[in-house]
Amino acid sequence: MQPDIGLLTRRRFLTSAASGLGAVALASMLRDDGLLAQSGDSDPLRPRPPHFEAKAKACIFIFLIGGISQVDLFDRKPLLQRLHGERIPESYRRGVRLGQTNYNAPLMGARFGFRRYGRCGMEMSELLPYFGSCADDLTLIRSMHHEAFDHAPGELELCTGKDIPGRPTMGSWLIYGLGSESRNLPGYVVLLNGRSPKARSYVWGSGYLPATYQGVLFRNQGSPILNLQTPSEMAPGLHRAQLDAIRSLNELHHEETGDPRVAAQIAAYELAYRMQTAAPELLDLSGETRATIESYGASDFARSLLLARRLVERGVRFVTVTHHEWDHHDGIAAGLPDACRQIDRPIAALLQDLKRRGLLESTLVVGGTEFGRTAITQGNNFANAGRDHHPHAFTIWLAGAGVKRGFTLGETDELCWRVAEDPVHTHDFHATLLHLFGLDHRRLTFRHQGLDMRLTDVAGTVVNKILE
Amino acid sequence: MSSAWLRVGACWLAWACAGVLYAGEPVDFRRDIAPIFAERCVRCHGPKRQEGGLRLDVRRRVQIGGDSGLTLGIKGELLQRIDATGDKRMPPSGEPLSDKQKKLLREWMKQGAPWPDELAGKEEHESHWAFRRVTRPAVPKVKNTARVLNPIDAFLLQRLEAESLGFSPEAPRTTLLRRLHLDLIGLPPTPTEVEAFLKDETQDAYEKQVDRLLASPHFGERWGRHWLDLARFAESDGYENDRLRPDAWRFRDWVIDAINRDMPFDRFTIEQLAGDLLPNATPEQKIAAGLHRHTLWNSAASADKEEFRTLAIKDRVETTAAAWMGLTLGCAKCHSHKYDPIRQREYYQVYAFFNNTDHQDFKLPGGGTAMTLAEKKRVTHIHQRGNFLQKGDEVPPGTPSFLPALAMTSILRDKPDAQRRAPDRFDFALWLVDPKHPLTARVAVNRFWQHLFGQGLVTTPENFGLSGQAPSHPELIDWLADEFVRLKWSRKGLLRTIVLSAAYRQSSRARPDLAKRDPDNRLVARQNRYRVEAEIVRDLALSVSGLLDLKMGGPSIVPPFPDGLLAQRFQAEALKLPTKEHRRRGVYIHVQRTLTYPMLAAFDGADGNQPCLRRDRSTTPMQALTLLNDPVFVEAAKALAVRIQKATPDQDGRLRFGIQLCLGRAATARELAVLSDLVAAQRKLGAKDDAVWTGVARTLINIDAFITRE
Repeated sequence: MQPDIGLLTRRRFLTSAASGLGAVALASMLRDDGLLAQSGDSDPLRPRPPHFEAKAKACIFIFLIGGISQVDLFDRKPLLQRLHGERIPESYRRGVRLGQTNYNAPLMGARFGFRRYGRCGMEMSELLPYFGSCADDLTLIRSMHHEAFDHAPGELELCTGKDIPGRPTMGSWLIYGLGSESRNLPGYVVLLNGRSPKARSYVWGSGYLPATYQGVLFRNQGSPILNLQTPSEMAPGLHRAQLDAIRSLNELHHEETGDPRVAAQIAAYELAYRMQTAAPELLDLSGETRATIESYGASDFARSLLLARRLVERGVRFVTVTHHEWDHHDGIAAGLPDACRQIDRPIAALLQDLKRRGLLESTLVVGGTEFGRTAITQGNNFANAGRDHHPHAFTIWLAGAGVKRGFTLGETDELCWRVAEDPVHTHDFHATLLHLFGLDHRRLTFRHQGLDMRLTDVAGTVVNKILE
Repeated sequence: MSSAWLRVGACWLAWACAGVLYAGEPVDFRRDIAPIFAERCVRCHGPKRQEGGLRLDVRRRVQIGGDSGLTLGIKGELLQRIDATGDKRMPPSGEPLSDKQKKLLREWMKQGAPWPDELAGKEEHESHWAFRRVTRPAVPKVKNTARVLNPIDAFLLQRLEAESLGFSPEAPRTTLLRRLHLDLIGLPPTPTEVEAFLKDETQDAYEKQVDRLLASPHFGERWGRHWLDLARFAESDGYENDRLRPDAWRFRDWVIDAINRDMPFDRFTIEQLAGDLLPNATPEQKIAAGLHRHTLWNSAASADKEEFRTLAIKDRVETTAAAWMGLTLGCAKCHSHKYDPIRQREYYQVYAFFNNTDHQDFKLPGGGTAMTLAEKKRVTHIHQRGNFLQKGDEVPPGTPSFLPALAMTSILRDKPDAQRRAPDRFDFALWLVDPKHPLTARVAVNRFWQHLFGQGLVTTPENFGLSGQAPSHPELIDWLADEFVRLKWSRKGLLRTIVLSAAYRQSSRARPDLAKRDPDNRLVARQNRYRVEAEIVRDLALSVSGLLDLKMGGPSIVPPFPDGLLAQRFQAEALKLPTKEHRRRGVYIHVQRTLTYPMLAAFDGADGNQPCLRRDRSTTPMQALTLLNDPVFVEAAKALAVRIQKATPDQDGRLRFGIQLCLGRAATARELAVLSDLVAAQRKLGAKDDAVWTGVARTLINIDAFITRE
């Protein structure tokens, strides 16, 4: 997707090759190009054309874990402010399942003010001024809903379309459908901040798809990929000499057995080797301006977003960045401003950075959460009250890659309780995501246990209203 | 395909319109009823679709009814729905049925809904190969009798000869021995074992090797792991808390031991599904019944206990169906199955067997505790749309009607109240292993085949239903199934038969003549070559380097995790400290559901969250990095280097020894040339002797052939 960057990386690599690894490595890389071409379909990561013209080439999925409060941040409700402290009317209770709270708990208005942001006048909390300044690039979906109640099921619902473990995640489906554009890095990368998601590796797993399509968990400090470092006692020249021997022996066995899997194995070793070189370059921020680095900020989360941009620049298809601070069962008045401060500037910096570099045109940025929070409190003491899980109506946002700018979709009822207009189920969100990548969610299937499985199960409708 | 009377055609319509019914006059199904069904009902309740699990073109299905209950009878659903209003009314679109049509249907019901045999209709599944009872097929005659070592070969050659093809030549002896070793015990042959086999010129040299390996205690470790994949064996709860299950390993040891003792598969089945219900159940039998304790469990405070209990029961139903019957029963938990004749009601009837269970931990005689199940009666309802909160009809325990009826002849039957007792898990287990059951033996032998050829005769081991892959050799699978029962369900007996066949002993080399005609090798005109499973990759490296600790059984081990992996506040405290003896076989590595040991995860190991019926065999750069740099493999490379250096002082001899150890065969001249060049290149770069040989060793454990079973 960024051929110049590819060349740059390649040149950088060859420079380092000239200094240490020598002509053997160069020859090996050149041979590798031919080999990949030969191996054809046996390379599961080979780039493949979409079903139709794509707007998006990459996605940065910012996963705000815990259940972000749409009531306080994204979905202003005057009636809720007026009914603050009262019981929720009977008519709202029917058919809405509650978790730990109950209907004796009072309604609680938003704890902070709302402001209108941008030329579009999008209403969001005053706690997100920097993010708000990007309003004219955002689509806000206020009408998300699903049925999963607790964190792990909710996370899985959002990431895989099903609330139990075992399904492939969005990124896996995309790599399965489109292959990887990066020759030096995995196509699907995961950066965790703070606590792991409750559903842990299922959030980046490939489920029943082959393991090739699973997200690769990078650490954001030290070595980003497990076992990337050659043992310290192994000099680089020796390492390469051994890789060349491995390759030669594999080539002998390939010739002898005629097994295409050996070719794939040779390619995998070469990608591993290139990752050993490319990954440190990826992490080396010395080429970034001070202004850029400062705009993101100094936290792990900020660093992950900057890294996400660098990954996308280098052809990585899907990057998940998590931030796990949103499960405000109590103390929301204190907790929310703090959590907002952690994400406000970094996310704004990412969106502006992508835009400045022309990457936002082809990069979809999604801010998602596993569910929203209840308009009624959990705990009766307003000073320390929080809100419970609420999958019946919540908000997510998108930016870039053919998504409308300065647009808000969907409405909830007057108490932010249920979706009133333009409901968007997780299946619809997934159908739309695939659509932006040029994939028809009904045609992107994988045969598993006798069924043609899909990201969208047997449902999902592309949300055309948010498409530019 | 579909029922007889649908094909008779439109002439009924004319008949029906002309007919005038007089009270008491017998209703004629062909004339009066069939046309109504054909015209107004079968579009949604016929061969293509069975809304609500109801099918009106097949007598048997009408007699069973739909998801919402009985169809026939004066109080049955059919009469109620044709008179209903609003959403409930049938047919839902177009005009309601005419008064005359309703009258005909009511009268037909009153007369006992007579339906002549010749119009009874047939369902697709009644002719589905896997749902028919197994009969022993005659062994075919073939031309190339020289290659027929046992009936397996005859079945395969018959098909190959029909395509003017034949078997590949037998693989070299060294390949055969390494293949047998990897397949049967998961450990490589030592140079001494290879030498002994090559020297053995007796007629039954190969057979002796087979018998030696089947008798090895490591056979149970290898084949036990296959079973643990199905049992979704793990040592933690899963979900967010993922608490440890410190006694779970006892089930792993039970499986290994049972397989080593060659416990007959019917007994193996009964003990795992109902060991706790056996008269005077032994502690071992109770441990066996712990199979279904290996469900996920959400211990979070906010988790709804009943919701997760019902999820665990559903997991038991679906695991049992997948492992023993190759059925995707889970499809029927929200609605009747789209492809197979499993109605939603029947799903919950199987569910009822497992719903009548409770968790129990018990003290073992020698100390320690173990997990098992205990019987606890509960009323089971259908969960409408699969939702445990939406209770539908109450259903008794039972089995799907397209399979043989549950026989109430179990050994518990001598109790006086036997006739009145509802069937329990013990009856269910006996039903599974009744030779009349068409699926159990077929599914088991197919899995054995899969582990010995890399793919099953049915390539969808999880699905023997109508939407599964048809078998390449239906008669062979039936012969094997029948043979399995004839061998009194002896696993070792059947495996022995298969590995003694000429088919198994073929070379796995690609054949140009097959590339287009049979790219997936469904005809078995050669063996397959494939990467070994995750545990075996590790076992191989530790074994050739001499580090492998062959101690069997007991609590699991925690090998060192790569640096930093556990830093993210994982709650799995138990994983933070490597245990002693961590160089034991991969089957003994602790299985934490939310954090698979990274080396195993990289090589598509099972994570214990769902039954794993078929391991992936991916090829990824992460695997390369693992073999190159993971601490276990770095350690193995160093130890292998020492071993090679100790073997002989001479360079050529060392290279030959290294290849012999790692590939179980002599080195070729070209291999030696590559390795000699490596030695020279490393020396030129200034490497000392130890570094040179560590480099050679690292190369050997990284080549594809090392982790490939030829």
